[in-house]
Amino acid sequence: MSGILVYALQYEGAFNKNSLGAVSEGAKLAGELGTECHAIVIGEGISDELAAQLGNYGATKVYRVEGPEGLAQPVVDAMAAAIEAGGHEYALFGGGLLGFEIGAGLAARLDGGVCMEVTNVRVEDGKLVAERPILQDSQISSVHYRSNLGVIIGRLNAFEARESGGTATVEDLNVEFRPHSLKAKMIQRGEQRGANVNIEDADILVAGGRGLGKAEGFEELEQLAGALGGAVAATRAVVDAGWYSYSAQIGQTGKTVAPKLYLAAGISGAIQHKVGMQASENIVAINKDSNAPIFEFSDLGIVGDLHKIVPKLTEAVKAKRGS
Amino acid sequence: VSAAPSQFPPPVDSAAEFVGAPIDAEDERIEVGVAIVGGGQAGMACAIRLMQLLEDDPEMAERLGEVPVAVIEKGRVAGAHQLSGGVMNPSAIRTLLPEDDSWPHWGEVERETVYFMLNRKRAVPLKPTPPPFRNHGNYVVSVAELNRWLAEKAEEAGAYILAETVGAKLLVDERSGDEASGRGRSRVVGVRTGDKGRDKNGGEKGNFEPGSDVIARATVLAEGCWGHLTGAAMKALDLAPSDPQVWALGVKEVWEIPKPFEKIVHTLGWPLRGGAKWREFGGSWIYGMNREGEAPKVSLGFVTGLDYTDARFSVHDVLQEFKLHPLVRKILADGKRVAWGAKAIPEGGYWALPKLHAPGMVIAGDAGGMVNVPRLKGIHYAIESGRMAAETIYRQLKAGSTDFSSYESSVLESKIGKELYESRNMKQPFAKGLIVGGAITNAMVLTKGRFPGGHWVTHRDAEAPLTLDSKRHERYPKPDGKYTFDKLSGVFLTGNATRDDAPSHIRIERKVPRAVAEGWAWMCPAGVYEVPEDAPEEGFVDLIVNPSNCVQCGAITAKGGRLTPPEGGDGPVYQIT
Repeated sequence: MSGILVYALQYEGAFNKNSLGAVSEGAKLAGELGTECHAIVIGEGISDELAAQLGNYGATKVYRVEGPEGLAQPVVDAMAAAIEAGGHEYALFGGGLLGFEIGAGLAARLDGGVCMEVTNVRVEDGKLVAERPILQDSQISSVHYRSNLGVIIGRLNAFEARESGGTATVEDLNVEFRPHSLKAKMIQRGEQRGANVNIEDADILVAGGRGLGKAEGFEELEQLAGALGGAVAATRAVVDAGWYSYSAQIGQTGKTVAPKLYLAAGISGAIQHKVGMQASENIVAINKDSNAPIFEFSDLGIVGDLHKIVPKLTEAVKAKRGS
Repeated sequence: VSAAPSQFPPPVDSAAEFVGAPIDAEDERIEVGVAIVGGGQAGMACAIRLMQLLEDDPEMAERLGEVPVAVIEKGRVAGAHQLSGGVMNPSAIRTLLPEDDSWPHWGEVERETVYFMLNRKRAVPLKPTPPPFRNHGNYVVSVAELNRWLAEKAEEAGAYILAETVGAKLLVDERSGDEASGRGRSRVVGVRTGDKGRDKNGGEKGNFEPGSDVIARATVLAEGCWGHLTGAAMKALDLAPSDPQVWALGVKEVWEIPKPFEKIVHTLGWPLRGGAKWREFGGSWIYGMNREGEAPKVSLGFVTGLDYTDARFSVHDVLQEFKLHPLVRKILADGKRVAWGAKAIPEGGYWALPKLHAPGMVIAGDAGGMVNVPRLKGIHYAIESGRMAAETIYRQLKAGSTDFSSYESSVLESKIGKELYESRNMKQPFAKGLIVGGAITNAMVLTKGRFPGGHWVTHRDAEAPLTLDSKRHERYPKPDGKYTFDKLSGVFLTGNATRDDAPSHIRIERKVPRAVAEGWAWMCPAGVYEVPEDAPEEGFVDLIVNPSNCVQCGAITAKGGRLTPPEGGDGPVYQIT
């Protein structure tokens, strides 16, 4: 049979948001193709309950593989085995570096075609066509697959997770890992300062720029983000200055985000920053310069001293939430 | 409160740091016949001519080894760092490729006007057109595009183009050094390419790749307007000219417009100030770009000599101001900006020509300062000098020699040398102010340089003291993002995606008086330098440097800093500039 196989990344009993989005997208596309969407999950001692959760996002079957989680090569082995058993025509990944690595390895292993940074997938003549922005997002290129296997790797946050209320059967798949696949071991999972909430997954981002004046200004933003239940992001200028970690950098040479609320404090809004956050649903800017370009694409602009406004806003949010 | 940038030299000893002996083990060195540093017009012309000569001489080609000609290009592709105003005298490319006239251009110049801009509203045409501005028979081109075409020709002919590769260090054979003088006798034996994958502090990242020693029988420095190795070679090998090189900075935009603009325009005057005190020497160009089957375009830009004295002078913002003139508005109406870029231009002319050869090495094109300033032409000199370099190198290597001194004499005896001599005192009169200076240079072109005769001396751009006593910046328009633009949106249009965590490629003194810091911040068209908001109004400030904005224009080298190449492949990716 044909079908779509989606890799679902889990860590400590929870699925990655981008993976759930990929499962939902896979299910939608499978519906249009008249086929099924299967998911594959790899880890140590994954419970039936956890694996079956993927049914709620549209997977009809979940392959469960006992193996090391978070490393690319064992997943390549597992997905190759699943595709051999299930005859899937497409492999789909949500955004993230691990997906890039697995997808590339899988394409090489099975002589498939691969397209990454995909923002949309459509059905054309019974086949999937991946759409990928090029030339700094000014054009879209459509990628058609000629091989038996098409590997589609999404851009971060390209696919939205949608609960379908469906159920999935869980099937254990025994995979014989290749010797070289087990050579790499996870020694340590590192978290960087400010990265305890992944900024790409956060619904609310509080971002700071050079207008903060100094590195300590980020403490005010962290408090506000804490009160709002969001995460802190930063501009290139302040990351360059060493005020905040690179993992939180938004923009052309940093991350691209699309939260529900983007609160920009002391950010002028140069185009290099704009391209990383313009897809946010609501943009609120605080800047003392009323001429700052950011006000041209903000939903709400506040001209004033952020060092006065941010602490008051934090208090107000806390009061409203009753904490 | 005035200060000259030259009082605060950058922390670099270029002769010691960028010139030295090979360091790779002998069996790890890459051997090529001729190494050409820089894939611009000069470098590509040199590569094409060498391959033409070698095609007719297979025995010599064999002697030069597996890679007879290698072009080392720091941009992502050949042409990525190329920018010029864009009118080319076609004589040199026709000599180089007599049977191929398919080079890309945007129309032959048929109509031209020079205006003197009286103020922000009025302009008067200068009639008859002053002699230096007569361009009939020349072509509007984009060097970014022309260079991609030349690169194809060079590759078809068998040259190897190593894009994303930096010429980081000039290799000399120390065994041939003259112990007695210590300098000047070394033979150039090639180039060391730049490292890749270093972090901000110079440490090796996971993807670190060291550079390689590229050993060559002949090395051609065709690095363009600010030569990293050329600058170092002038010091280490005693090639410096009698006068220091001076530069202008040009900022350019390309617009798509609804109806074709079928002429070329130059302007003098406004928004520059004519007073001798400001030393604002320059002007604008507006060239129609028309080609069948493509949307009509216009190339426009502003150029100003970098010896100006107002710290708040910004060529980028002057270009924005210039666009507000009704004369320009009419041309750009209902158009859309599609490209932006900036480049320095060597303007020293004849007296600033360095010695063009050293044992094993020659200098070609803009790197050697071969630009005809009054006529605003350099592309054909680049192509012509590249071609002449190839002929000398071929002849001498065939004879078993690395003495390329005859290249210099052939350049000086050619049209390049003769025309540069005629305009040898072009720039200096403008220290007397625009009106008087303009009259002197017109007389100079008409008299083929007999007036003013002699040798008028120039000073380094960085020696001009910068002052903060004008409010010029208040005249710059606030960018509206549609017609007038800020610097960073221009940088974005260049496709520049220089890695943020690479080591800084800009050597500069960061603790400088406010006048110098503001001078750099306003000058830089790419927003590389910033004065912190809380910096004191007087005294020293801590300059902020954003190297990843840099579009490699080279102005900072003229104005008291020292640009070095970034990691190979970084910098702008110009398409149509």
